Amino acid sequence: MTDTNFPNDPGLLLMISLAGGPKHGHAMLLDVEGFAGVRLGPGTLYGALSRLESAGQVEALPAEGRRRPYRLTPAGRLALADRLTALERAVTTGVARVGA
Amino acid sequence: MIRFLLRLFPTAWRDRYGEELVALVDDTGLDAGTVADVARAGVNERARSARAAIAGGGTMTIGPAWRHPTLWAAVGLLVLVPTMTFVLLSMLTYQLGLSGLAATMEPVNRWLDSQRLADLVLVAAPGIAFIVAAAPLVRLTLATADGEPSATLGLRLRAINLVVASLALAVGALLVGHIVWEAVLQQGA
Repeated sequence: MTDTNFPNDPGLLLMISLAGGPKHGHAMLLDVEGFAGVRLGPGTLYGALSRLESAGQVEALPAEGRRRPYRLTPAGRLALADRLTALERAVTTGVARVGA
Repeated sequence: MIRFLLRLFPTAWRDRYGEELVALVDDTGLDAGTVADVARAGVNERARSARAAIAGGGTMTIGPAWRHPTLWAAVGLLVLVPTMTFVLLSMLTYQLGLSGLAATMEPVNRWLDSQRLADLVLVAAPGIAFIVAAAPLVRLTLATADGEPSATLGLRLRAINLVVASLALAVGALLVGHIVWEAVLQQGA
């Protein structure tokens, strides 16, 4: 998976999922599968999550047993909004050019 | 299985996310796709950690066998045992002339002549055993200090690993000597 090609960008998919509220790994996986039709593997999911946490775009909440919920940080929400706006511009332009 | 795959990840990553990853795999189930996904993620994290270390973002230690040296020595010994037994019996039979063992060794030698793969495994085993036993004695640390990337080789001495590694070298040397000696005898015949 690359970092720029929606819907194959696991980081973007996780941020969209967390924009709906805090979730732990399995809940994110099911949510992403539901809205994007993409089944993320556990390694892919935690790889992306660790990069987002390093970048300060998501943060961990106190653990609930063996599971730990995550939520978007304010910086993550801004970054997500920027990326979605850019994607929206690209989609609008693309749709207009293909005449759909 | 999944805990074994976690060893592919850098230690710091494993300490932070390992338990959560295992819990997620417990929820979703383990299949071939999951194994491939976790293995790929582990390699990616290793690469990311190495890039960060080289770029000055921290250090990275490469020494997969460093933590369990006794286990690695035991595995090395296990790999070595068949070849060691074969070399010992060959020496007792053909070098020291214990004719009572010839009846045991002749069928074994004939079988090995017809089974090239088994023969190859027997010959390669001392080399593999040496690497397995000696691996926990070495680790490589990548870091960046004052903008300069550096690699530091760490060595340590552990008796059990050194004994097994030395035994593997000795058995390997005896085996090579035996093979060369047989070749010389065949040339002369």
